[in-house]
Amino acid sequence: MRFVADFIGALREAGLPVSPAESLDALNAIKLLGVENRITTKTVLALTLVKRNTDQVIYDELFDLYFTGVEKVKQADSDKLAPDEPDTESEASIGEHEQASRADEFTASSALGQSLSQKLDMRLAITQAAMAENLSSIVFFTQKNHFAYKIMQRLGDEALSTEIRAEAHSPAQKKSQHELIEYRTRLLEQVKDYVEQQYLIFARHKGTKFREDHLQQAKLSQVEHVDYALMQRLVQRSARKLAAQHSRRRLTRKRGLLDVRKTIAANAAFDGALFHTRWKATRVERPKIIAICDVSGSVSRVARFLLLFLYSLQDVMPKVRSFVFASEMIEVTKLLEQENIELALEEIMQRWGGLSTDYGKALADFQMQALASIDKKTTVIMLGDARNNQGDGRTDIWQKVFRQSKRVLWLNPEQRNSWDSGDSIMSQYSPWCSSVEPCRNLKDIEGIFNRLLKYS
Amino acid sequence: MIIKHQEKIASPEIIQRQYEALGYICSPSVATAIYLACHLQKPILIEGPPGVGKTELAKITAAYLNAPLIRMQCYEGLDESKALYEWKYGKQLLYTQVLKEQLGDVLRGARGLDESIARLHDFGDIFYSQDFLEPRPLLQALQSEDGAVLLIDEIDKADQEFEAFLLELLSDYQVSIPEIGTVKAKSTPIVMLTSNNTRELGDALKRRCLHLYIPFPDAALESRILATQVEGLETQLREQIVALIGELRNMPLKKSPAVSETIDWARALLLLNVETLDPHWVKETLNLLLKFQDDIELVEPEIVALLKRVS
Repeated sequence: MRFVADFIGALREAGLPVSPAESLDALNAIKLLGVENRITTKTVLALTLVKRNTDQVIYDELFDLYFTGVEKVKQADSDKLAPDEPDTESEASIGEHEQASRADEFTASSALGQSLSQKLDMRLAITQAAMAENLSSIVFFTQKNHFAYKIMQRLGDEALSTEIRAEAHSPAQKKSQHELIEYRTRLLEQVKDYVEQQYLIFARHKGTKFREDHLQQAKLSQVEHVDYALMQRLVQRSARKLAAQHSRRRLTRKRGLLDVRKTIAANAAFDGALFHTRWKATRVERPKIIAICDVSGSVSRVARFLLLFLYSLQDVMPKVRSFVFASEMIEVTKLLEQENIELALEEIMQRWGGLSTDYGKALADFQMQALASIDKKTTVIMLGDARNNQGDGRTDIWQKVFRQSKRVLWLNPEQRNSWDSGDSIMSQYSPWCSSVEPCRNLKDIEGIFNRLLKYS
Repeated sequence: MIIKHQEKIASPEIIQRQYEALGYICSPSVATAIYLACHLQKPILIEGPPGVGKTELAKITAAYLNAPLIRMQCYEGLDESKALYEWKYGKQLLYTQVLKEQLGDVLRGARGLDESIARLHDFGDIFYSQDFLEPRPLLQALQSEDGAVLLIDEIDKADQEFEAFLLELLSDYQVSIPEIGTVKAKSTPIVMLTSNNTRELGDALKRRCLHLYIPFPDAALESRILATQVEGLETQLREQIVALIGELRNMPLKKSPAVSETIDWARALLLLNVETLDPHWVKETLNLLLKFQDDIELVEPEIVALLKRVS
């Protein structure tokens, strides 16, 4: 039972949300079917513990890693118990030891040395020592050697080393020392293998969790290319969370006024007593959103994640039109509607990203393309640093956008105190925005959309 | 639930064998899930692509355990008056009218308002009672004497509120009716929920269930399913069909052909007296397998190449 509990611990570390109730179910199920058959055990634990299909892969991997280890230990256990009881064995070995020294043949004096020279299987001892040293708390790969050392110590390495280093009085002792060195090397290998395996089980996913926590807070403009995949998963996860929260709210709002005509018709059978009520459904207005993203050098990374977030929210915000610009305004709605959004984003950034910005020209383009379609139900989200390279900002257009729309949100990837520094003309636009907010990390984006969905 | 023949669920292997005899070929994990559901008395949440036999599993379980199958199809807007219970309004109305007529008899001779009210209390109130309760599927399942198999089909189609409403039923096999109180199951039913994953289900619901994922079957399993479901199908043709379906599932289709579609297709080919797959017949019958015009257009030019790989 103990190892099932441990395994559940490993699953939790890997990010599977296993509740105590589920652990109990797993234990009950294991009691019914036993752990003899590995395939059955795997199915049973999967049935009770793995509730999301995405977790299946992690589960399979961990199960194989973990139970290969457990089976080895069990085998060693039964091998050891098979010949005779452990106690009598150690007594016997002491007896042997006395006899041996009398027979002028040298035997190791340290306990570890003895068990090694008797070629006992050390796996069980290693597991126990590892447990005592709390190996499952391992987090970083740099800790591997440290743990290996600790385990060796607990196994009694100190006495063994002293014995190996001791001055040899006889050829027999010398020979024995050489043998012990060899045994010790082999044992160390074994311990290291074990630590490596446990590291794979417990720590690798812990590392991911660390990085995820870090990325949540990290500045979006600093996210490295290698972290894109992980970041995308995070973005989609928080988008899913928001979608789940807000899809529910919408449903409760659907019911409108009492529909008198239908109610009377429905209750004609009950002598006109009104048992059933019929309601007029109000049309649910989903927020119409126009997103405009600056994709010039500094802002492009933030734009990438903002768009990804927006499109992961399609369940609750289906009507999104998106534009990107550096100097020209380009509508990318069609491009982003395709199956693989990551590829689409990559393409956008490659084609239009990294050019120098011209807000004036871009807004003029926008006026031609989309200004007519902005109405009182539209929310306009602009992402940009308002760094216009000294050009004319065409704030008159932005003013029109503000007047026609329900709300204008300006998200600035820079922190507040660098707005209006250098060529930034944030203060020219901000009178024509419902709100201007810094948008620097994933938490910011999540908060912004949360508010947007709540009050629309 | 009271299972009359305990030996029927003595081990997952027996379940697997017996289901096979009933014409439902299943993998060991499916049999283990059924076994655990019976012994631990937990609901099973079955997920998987459409057409892999999720609903069928519930039907066959009911048949195997000789229990009635109570099925509830979920849809958007499903609420407790359709799922759990409804009051028999008409009868309640009649009852109040009867009551009105009898009121004179009951209150005759009463002195003062206090006594009248006391007498009214003694008269008993059955307006909201079991007599006027119209049980819907969930309540039916709880009320059946010897237990039942309750199939809650496509739970992902129902609203999130409904999911929350199910929680009490799933964990304690009881429901609360405000006017009456808690109704406990006379005998715990076996509950199966199916989901096509159109929406992520809540963690609370998942936690209360065993989670069974039925994927598309592998070639060997599918071949056996075809052998039991379609009689008179030549082995060679069967292998070809299974291999071709396998190839199709690897293509980027909008909807991959499911087991039920494979069976339909095999039946059609048998009916048309096709002995071996050739491009002409595959092309003619492709619409049985693929349900989107885009998919058909994608596969059609590949048919010859696919068939070459298969045979």
